[in-house]
Amino acid sequence: MMLALAGLTARLVDLQAVGGAKYDTLARNQLIHPITLSATRGSIFDRNGHELALSVPRPTIFADGGLIRDPAKTAAAIGPILGLPVPQLTEDLNRPSVHFMYLARRISPSVAKRVTGLGLPGIAQITESQRVYPAGSLAAPVLGFVGSENQGLGGLEQKYTDVLAGTPGSLEAERDPTGREIPATERRMVPAERGDDLVLTLDQSLQYVAEQRLTDEVAAVGAKAGMAVIVDVHTGDVVAMVNVNGAVGNRPAMPATSRNRNRPLTDIYEPGSTAKVITASSALESGKISTDTHFSVPSEVKLGGQVFADDETHDVANWTVLDILTRSSNVGAIKIAALVGRTNLDRAMRNFGFGARTPIQFPGEASGLLQAPSNYDPAIMGSMPIGYGIATTAMQTLDVFTTVASGGMNRPPRLVSALIDANGHRTSMPAPASRRVISRATAASMRKILQSVVMSGTGKRAAIDGYSVAGKTGTSRKPPYEPPYHYMASFAGFAPAESPRFAAVVVLDDPQNATHGGEVAAPVFSAIMQYALHLYHVPATEGDAAGATQSTAAGRGLTSNVSAPAP
Amino acid sequence: MAIIASDRRSRIQESPLRHVDPLLFGPPLILGALGLLMVYASTHRILESEHLDPMFFVKRQIIAIVIGLAAMVGLMMIDYRRLRELSLLGYFATVLMLVAVLKLGVDVKGAQARFDIGPFQVQPGEFAKVFLTLVLAAYCTRHREEMSGRRLVTALAICAVPMGLIMLQPDLGTDLVLMAMVFTILTMAGARARHLVVLVLVGFTFAVVAVQAGVLDQYQIDRLTSFANTGADAERSGYNAKQSEIAIGAGGLTGKGLFAGSQTNGQHVPEQHTDFIFTVVGEELGFVGGAVVLGLFAIIVWRTSRAARLAQDPFGALCCMGVLAMFVAQVFENVGMATGIMPVTGIPLPFMSYGGSSIIVSFACIGLVANVHMRRFS
Repeated sequence: MMLALAGLTARLVDLQAVGGAKYDTLARNQLIHPITLSATRGSIFDRNGHELALSVPRPTIFADGGLIRDPAKTAAAIGPILGLPVPQLTEDLNRPSVHFMYLARRISPSVAKRVTGLGLPGIAQITESQRVYPAGSLAAPVLGFVGSENQGLGGLEQKYTDVLAGTPGSLEAERDPTGREIPATERRMVPAERGDDLVLTLDQSLQYVAEQRLTDEVAAVGAKAGMAVIVDVHTGDVVAMVNVNGAVGNRPAMPATSRNRNRPLTDIYEPGSTAKVITASSALESGKISTDTHFSVPSEVKLGGQVFADDETHDVANWTVLDILTRSSNVGAIKIAALVGRTNLDRAMRNFGFGARTPIQFPGEASGLLQAPSNYDPAIMGSMPIGYGIATTAMQTLDVFTTVASGGMNRPPRLVSALIDANGHRTSMPAPASRRVISRATAASMRKILQSVVMSGTGKRAAIDGYSVAGKTGTSRKPPYEPPYHYMASFAGFAPAESPRFAAVVVLDDPQNATHGGEVAAPVFSAIMQYALHLYHVPATEGDAAGATQSTAAGRGLTSNVSAPAP
Repeated sequence: MAIIASDRRSRIQESPLRHVDPLLFGPPLILGALGLLMVYASTHRILESEHLDPMFFVKRQIIAIVIGLAAMVGLMMIDYRRLRELSLLGYFATVLMLVAVLKLGVDVKGAQARFDIGPFQVQPGEFAKVFLTLVLAAYCTRHREEMSGRRLVTALAICAVPMGLIMLQPDLGTDLVLMAMVFTILTMAGARARHLVVLVLVGFTFAVVAVQAGVLDQYQIDRLTSFANTGADAERSGYNAKQSEIAIGAGGLTGKGLFAGSQTNGQHVPEQHTDFIFTVVGEELGFVGGAVVLGLFAIIVWRTSRAARLAQDPFGALCCMGVLAMFVAQVFENVGMATGIMPVTGIPLPFMSYGGSSIIVSFACIGLVANVHMRRFS
């Protein structure tokens, strides 16, 4: 008999002395139900500290089905206030076993007060944080958006979601099996830590002007879409990154929303003539030609069974590199490339950043398409030198011009310049490493050539009063290259030409009324570049270098809403 | 020798109350008091949260203890040899009540085991413990040293009636306790070894057949088998055992402190103030508390077996042994299920579990043992 009691004692020793810790853990796990305290998401600022995205507390109304006495009456009372259909709401509320259901999330405090003021059992309020974009759709595809739980789902919100999110806190309290907090027991609170703020390189004011101007142009030329990027040549900072959606049906052209792609980084196209900058600079860099080298340029050339022709037929001409680029001669560019050779041309393109994602590493960013030289078809030395047979993002195209503008050093673009933690401590993001792509001399030659494009070539409409501008037009047919033709019309360049401060690219997707980059994209470039130069107090260019002679170009300036269609 | 004889004679003339064993009363009283504390610990929070009197269960338990003490003293007053004569009456009364409870009783959690009389409940099954012990002890005493097979069958038949009725409630736990008592008394009364072996074999066969033939409900089988693997079905039949094991294990060496048991306060262990009262001891008072409780029961076992040994006649001895067997069976089964080494059956822990009938009968049993012990000279 005593043996039985001894056995029980042994079992107690086993349970309590030997297994005590294990069971204590089991018990604690049953008892402590931590509640997550959500952290406030960090704000996003432009380069001047203007808020582009911030989080504000908002009331959320929820229901506890177990506490609702009269679903029909409750639904009838709050349905109209919250704008919810009463029959459906009645059905939803009539679920006694559901102890938490959202009725209306992140509503205005006044509406919430009207609901809670009714004092209905089972209807209560919690506070949630709501993402707000004070500047509206400004730079929306760049900023991206967040989901219902404030998780970044697109754009920088997605890319930096961990940085912005902060560290959720927790409230550990002892709870009974039904989840009620046990009074007068141990509570442990770890407060939530606010997420870091993001300081962008974007300039809100410049971004706005660029968006408006490009929207006007997209509307005027009936383009499907438009994109533009402006970077600071000194730093690679992207000061504006613009997306515009073309008109669809009755909906007019307008800046893209946060749900749209950030096209300058995600969409690729055949750059067309803007790529001739690489062809020319690689030839100059190789030393095989100089700026004085003359080429015998016919109106068309046959390569690999394919005919490549200049826009306008002309007699066989004797042109320098400057002439070829100023007129944007395809045949001339192909002649230059023939000297460079396919391997060197391919290397030059990769060196300029084609075929690789930028250090921005934007969500969904494209690396572009660049075939390996071993895969080249016979016609490639006809297409690649003039920007066909390859595909780049607008950002990659712009990088070429930024590199030329900065004297041959590439300036990898960036969108985020600093983080500010919850304590206000600012950490600058290190600028991506810069490296030399072409020599200073080659860059200087190219600057002159590109300046000529604007002064006397296809890019006249990119000129700005008082400033010298350098750039290149691009007009590429979109696949499948069959009539009726669709075009990507672009202009990329920088200003002031002698000591560049900003570089920009403007691309219009499938403009209808006019198709040449020099007609539709260059005027937008001119307008937004002028604003940027003024905004940043860039001194005007002295002397004749300024392309003042072209100041009558239509569609320029901020006051003009519609650019004149080209004849 | 003469001196001893005269000493004995003088003792016979003294009041039997002079020969009571104080050590026999101490442990039940301490256990009862500790039980009150544990009942309070396990119920006051839930009562408070429902805005009821936190002392509700404690007050009722105090009443039960007072009635139990009265029953104990009352049972001591009547010479147990006279009880032997009255036992048959009590036996029949109990059987009648057991029949009645099947017809008129209140169905609680699937078992029809009690009457509601005013604010109190009466479980005739508990009282069967006392009267069956007395009747069986009486029968065995009459046929001591000559327990033939036929007499054994008769003895078993006497037991089978109330036990069968209890089985119909169904209350497996009480029957198991009664079986321990019956087997012990039969053994002590000199039943032949081979008869007992047959009895065990028959009982075992019966149990197997019962499980196989579906006499037991599935839930009973589940409860009986789930203890072997409590983790497997922690959400259902093994839930109670698992939670109880966790609570006791979490108590550790010295416990979480009185009223500070989280599993207890969290109402994680169902039936905690009744059958699973030991989990409160285990969690809040730890191994120390559990060992003290078991130690107190050990003292009761010790003093009861001593009473049996010193009993003046075989009837008294058998009564004490019957009570002893029931206490040990109850403690072993109750603490065993709380610690996960025995299947879960609804057996209260004597003196501690909330429940009037159990408390009253437990104290009455002590009264019976004390009765036998204090009249060992007369």
